Amino acid sequence: MDGFLFDVKVLELADEKGEFCGKLLAGAGADVLKIEPPGGQATREIGPFYHDQADPERSLYFWHYNFGKRGITLDIESPPGTDLLKRLVAEADVLIDAQPLGTLEKLGLDWNALHALNPRLIYVVLSPFGPSGPWRDYKANDLVHLALGGQMMCCGYSPTDDGSYDTPPIAPQMWHAYHIAGNQAFIATVGALIGREMTEVGEMIELPIHQAVSVCTEIDVPHWIYGQTRCYRQTGRHAQPAIGPEVQFPTKDGRYSIILPNPFPGGYETLVGFLEGKDKAGDLNEEKYKEPKNRRGRAFTEHFADIQAACVADFDMEEIWHEAQELGIPWSPIRLPEENLEDVQWQTRATFSQVEHPELGESYAYTGAPLLPNECAWRQGPRAPLIGEHNREVFCEQLELSAEEVADLQNKGIV
Amino acid sequence: MGVKKRRPLEGVRIADLTWLLAGAGGPRLLASLGAEVIRIEWRDRLDFLRYMPPFASRTKERSEKAGAMDLTGLDTGKVQSVNRGGYFNDINAGKYGISLNMKAPQGRELFKKLVAVSDVVVEAFTAETMQKWGLGYDTLKAIKPDIIYMQQPGWGYKGPYVKYASYGPIAQAVSGLTEQSGLPAPHPPAGWGFSYMDWSGAYYCAMTILMALYYKKRTGKGQYLDCSQVEPGIGMTGTAVLDHAVNGRHYQRTGNRSPYTPAAPHGAYPCAGDDRWIAIAVTSEEEWQAFVRIMGNPDWAGQSRFASLAERVQYQDELDRLVSAWTREQDPFDLQERLQAAGVPAGVCQTAQDRIERDPQLKHLNWLLPLEHTEIGTWPIKDIPFHFANGRVSQGGPTERAAPCYAEDNDYVYKELLGLSQVEIEAFQDEGII
Repeated sequence: MDGFLFDVKVLELADEKGEFCGKLLAGAGADVLKIEPPGGQATREIGPFYHDQADPERSLYFWHYNFGKRGITLDIESPPGTDLLKRLVAEADVLIDAQPLGTLEKLGLDWNALHALNPRLIYVVLSPFGPSGPWRDYKANDLVHLALGGQMMCCGYSPTDDGSYDTPPIAPQMWHAYHIAGNQAFIATVGALIGREMTEVGEMIELPIHQAVSVCTEIDVPHWIYGQTRCYRQTGRHAQPAIGPEVQFPTKDGRYSIILPNPFPGGYETLVGFLEGKDKAGDLNEEKYKEPKNRRGRAFTEHFADIQAACVADFDMEEIWHEAQELGIPWSPIRLPEENLEDVQWQTRATFSQVEHPELGESYAYTGAPLLPNECAWRQGPRAPLIGEHNREVFCEQLELSAEEVADLQNKGIV
Repeated sequence: MGVKKRRPLEGVRIADLTWLLAGAGGPRLLASLGAEVIRIEWRDRLDFLRYMPPFASRTKERSEKAGAMDLTGLDTGKVQSVNRGGYFNDINAGKYGISLNMKAPQGRELFKKLVAVSDVVVEAFTAETMQKWGLGYDTLKAIKPDIIYMQQPGWGYKGPYVKYASYGPIAQAVSGLTEQSGLPAPHPPAGWGFSYMDWSGAYYCAMTILMALYYKKRTGKGQYLDCSQVEPGIGMTGTAVLDHAVNGRHYQRTGNRSPYTPAAPHGAYPCAGDDRWIAIAVTSEEEWQAFVRIMGNPDWAGQSRFASLAERVQYQDELDRLVSAWTREQDPFDLQERLQAAGVPAGVCQTAQDRIERDPQLKHLNWLLPLEHTEIGTWPIKDIPFHFANGRVSQGGPTERAAPCYAEDNDYVYKELLGLSQVEIEAFQDEGII
């Protein structure tokens, strides 16, 4: 099977800001060549590590975010390195650039120069705050982005009874600012590839991560725009203008479940029937609740949630939700990521795959395709590149440098 | 040079049978890239978002307060018009809108005519609905051989959970993203204060259709796409999955700390004002020195237990207590300015009001786009965050409008695209088909 982007060549000059976008493009079938500085990209220093040994070849972060790419080392800021970069750019469809702003410009490779080198090039720039503006040079990381973007003020724990908060806003771990930016960069990139089929001309795309993150919340922005109403964070559920009923409850085995209402006609009756079968319906069968108008308002929704919570509390996390879902009741466990490996749904859909690390003589479970491929494949490998793993392939075979020339570049620390 | 800017997805038509955000958000993004998205609705089962506050009110008074997930309490009778929902307006900007009763056989025949002139059919019904209506992939393909058909039931079409329901909070909980958010146990997970997996569902809907559209451009072939809302969430947990596979470790929450890159202080610290917080992330020695300077070189910062990054990480509880005592007296925005000027990564935990009324960078980037809605007038709509140098890309899409009113574009679609006469249209209206 072809990959979706089977004939697309991508160059990646990126740290954590752009590696996820490159990973997705590789997954979709593009040939993604990651260009790292000699010695390896700094993201190789991010943990966790294989057997907890910090080492640039053992970063599990790097393994995950660079899966399916090829990798070379090149000091692009040295004149010979810049020349080799230009030759690679001339043959690429996409260049992902998440380096500090101005890095390529300083090498004489601004957008006009890149465009002149390769008029079909799609040049995607991911930067923390965009190419200009009062915060252009602000420094950020995942946490700071999720603070400024609004996610943190939506996420966290409910206020105390007097309405004040004794816990901070929470940034969901791990690296979601870059997931959000990477997903949207992927959309822009493939959109531009499609547009190029019509125009035959490349494109430059600026993606400020702060803006990408800021548009990725839900009702807080419309509530302010349309009603100047603030939303308040609350445990396990949507930030809203008022504190709403809980949806997250402990289970018998000390874990948690999510219980949501079925909003469709008959949803309430089905749920009561289900709870009755467990002898947990409380007073919900009383005549007064048969009238929908008696099931509105805060007092009832809280009472209703308490009854469901009492039911969930008598079962283990994985024990009861299937039965509920079979009836159309949207309950679910709050799982640890690895618990999905055991789930028959994901086994059926091959959502995880075993990936070989030949140099370790091991293979490990990786998360795989975000969809079930039918006519086009999602990439199954290889594992992330070792430092400079594809130097020979790229410099000798693709760019036709001699072995001596490559050795010379190595001695000079350029490769 | 006067060259006309073109929309990248010019000429791509999408029959959009989705709803809510996880469904309808994907076609929204495709509209921003220039696709002609035709949102199909029927009055007996309207998108809940059409009934969900906040509403645009003529008098601009505060809109009604109600819970986003409290769908059971929706009283559709109370809503004056289904065209006034502010959230719906944002999620459906740039789309055309038509009415069509898919439950009626004649409605489905009309839908087939639309398929014949479309490139993509995307839906978010329960899994068997289209099959039941005789509109499975084989039928669609027979009508339009290169059609791209995307199905996105919550858990995917293939697999034993095909009938299970998924909403954002469910997809977050199952995938592991909820468990990964919050203070360490014994605190429960904090989870997500919005449906992150609804946005992610929207992203992956758009991404998948775009991948298939590219493949079609290159090969002429359409395809069937079996997507789910949960799997993209699983894909974002990969590092934790590997930590388990390789090291046998189970994920443990660490609040706002930085378990994988040594950094301290690293967290959200209280500031002056009501529920005001600033995120500060100090990693390098240089940043620490600058941070100490901005704090006014307090004595405690010179203590030997804070001398190195490793020690600052080790004594983080104490460090956080001392930093908080100082930040509590500071104005958050002023502190952000001072820290950033000194080279320390820091940012206020911004509310929606902060982003809309105060954030000078978002303003500089024109993140809100004024778009006109036929019934409620012009309101700010969140624009897409990618800026194209050549292509014409914005959330107004081909309609250059906010969301459609119910059935707003029936004339355009049924007359111009499908060639129906006024008499035929009126007959369909009388029969409850459109």
